[in-house]
Amino acid sequence: MTLQNDLKSELVSHLVVSGFSQVAAGTPVRNTLARMRADRQVVCLVVDGDMSAAVRLVGIFTERDVMRKVIDVPGMLDRPVEEVMTPDPITIGPDASAADALRLMDENHVRNLPVVDRSGRLLGIMAHQAIIQFLADRYPVEVLNRPIDPEQFPRKAEGG
Amino acid sequence: MSTAATEEITLTRKDFISDQTVRWCPGCGDYSILAQMQRILPETGVAKEKTVFISGIGCSSRFPYYMNTYGIHSIHGRAPALATGLAIANPELSIWVITGDGDGLSIGGNHLLHAIRRNVNLNIVLFNNRIYGLTKGQYSPTSRPGTVTKSSPMGSVEQPLNPIAVALAAEATFVARSIDSHPQHLAAILERTAEHQGASFLEIYQNCVIFNPNEWTELSDRRNRDDSILYLEHGKHMIFGKNRDKGIRLNGFTPEVVSLDEVDLDEILVHDATSRPLASILGSMEFPDYPAAMGVIRDVRKPDYGGEMMAQVETAQAQRGAGDLNQLYLAADLWTVEEREEAEEREITPVASDLDEMPITGLDEEYIDEMEKPAEVLSEFQDLLVTSTLAELEPKVPITMGKRSSLARTIRQMNRHNIGCVVVTDEEDRLVGIFTEWDVLNRVAGLVDDLAQQTITDYMTPDPLTLKSDLPIAQALNLMSIHGFRHLPLVDDSGHPTGIVSFRDVVGYLNEALEEE
Repeated sequence: MTLQNDLKSELVSHLVVSGFSQVAAGTPVRNTLARMRADRQVVCLVVDGDMSAAVRLVGIFTERDVMRKVIDVPGMLDRPVEEVMTPDPITIGPDASAADALRLMDENHVRNLPVVDRSGRLLGIMAHQAIIQFLADRYPVEVLNRPIDPEQFPRKAEGG
Repeated sequence: MSTAATEEITLTRKDFISDQTVRWCPGCGDYSILAQMQRILPETGVAKEKTVFISGIGCSSRFPYYMNTYGIHSIHGRAPALATGLAIANPELSIWVITGDGDGLSIGGNHLLHAIRRNVNLNIVLFNNRIYGLTKGQYSPTSRPGTVTKSSPMGSVEQPLNPIAVALAAEATFVARSIDSHPQHLAAILERTAEHQGASFLEIYQNCVIFNPNEWTELSDRRNRDDSILYLEHGKHMIFGKNRDKGIRLNGFTPEVVSLDEVDLDEILVHDATSRPLASILGSMEFPDYPAAMGVIRDVRKPDYGGEMMAQVETAQAQRGAGDLNQLYLAADLWTVEEREEAEEREITPVASDLDEMPITGLDEEYIDEMEKPAEVLSEFQDLLVTSTLAELEPKVPITMGKRSSLARTIRQMNRHNIGCVVVTDEEDRLVGIFTEWDVLNRVAGLVDDLAQQTITDYMTPDPLTLKSDLPIAQALNLMSIHGFRHLPLVDDSGHPTGIVSFRDVVGYLNEALEEE
């Protein structure tokens, strides 16, 4: 049994995918950052169209982009998010296998794959965290049930 | 009031970890429960000093040692009795009772019933592994008929107790169930248990890895657990299955599992945590005939015992004035006991020296044999998780920043090396903090005007959890899964950073491991 075998039989929709922030195209970078901070999310999806009705995914903006394109570029905070997002991100469907998702991430060197169903609904973000969580749940005896601090020794006798 | 008393202190998981070595067997489900408890308690906002863990006897009852709160490791089965007294005398405390299927349902069955019936403001958590673990594997009050153990070599002939049904019979105002192997669910349900006012009863299916390791396999196996568990949500349809294609319908008084392909959604039961009859039905659904109901089965609000009792005391005092204990003593018949003059001195036999000479035999060796028994053959992958060390991931050497470095310089370094995380060190190169992309997004970008004027120390996460590189990969997975840490720094014995591992490193390594062979 390898991890590959495990992940082939596991669909993306069966994993605990990460959440995301969402802003409309045209939102200034400053407000986008505020949104992400409020939501405590490292990924923001940029969408086109009415927020309530059907939306179209036009880009993805992540903490990586903050580092590369925002933090030391003067004036960038007041520019629209389109200028710093990655347009037309690679996405994956909920019915794809986890193994396929991981391969797609590796091949394209991306850390976050938006999960989008056939009707265009944004369901979450596939990231390595989902695999970590899968492993913990799949092998609880080995992973979850470990001493909290394997190197801890008591200063005094138990109960003393 | 002094500033110290009014200052708000944010607690973290670390604050709830005691200095005691955890002595459960490796792989015991208790570890997962302890980790989740230490994770959720800071979020409940209750001070450590206002939190008490009271236990009886058993493996689970070692819990108070491992929580850095007040605690009492009490008498077998009597934790609910002690906790009741404590709750009445100190209504401001948050009191957890930690018990097991033996301690709670056999030895202390009566105490448990009455604490629940009285609706004492307690959080009662019963670890159910359907075996006596501490005494090395006898059948317990929840063992299934036919269970072969040392005390039932031909199989148990007893009908087991259903803990949920027991709690409901005592009219528990809060009844819930979760499982050790599903940490997110467990954390959420522990939080709900803590929130409820009155007696909260939570049953946790817990794996005894040594004496009853296969009890919950169908419910804990990640690959098919969603077909075996019905996750309850108040107001939502009872739908389950990995593909959410099955539901629970009521046929007369009997629940039945139906396929959603054949049955309309409006025939499917909707969970109502305030319904007493529905709680009984859910409690009666035993796996494998039904999926096991997990989540909050019942949640209603009723006056709690301590509050009601203190209200009566106040009423009595208002009507008749505060009592006088001395007067009460003198109110009844009094007599004096004369000292007997010819009382003989009893001879005291020396006990301690006898004990010293008693040979230590029997049970400990038996336990060691059980532990050392060749385990069931693990898959190669499971073996890899526990035997491969973090050093085998060949962790990247971290970029280190002195703790007086400016934000500007730190961010320049991160971008130059194209990395998302640096470690921060003191004058002696010991690790004192970690600074990541998330910190830039969360605390710096658009919030700090002059990056050159700010030092990294004010923006980093101080004293992060660290690991040593000779620990197994599973240890990193444990911390990453419980806390969502995306980067874990590795340090040597003197606290100098030696490496850093990320989600991606671990997943990448495991994904390729064994494939090439």
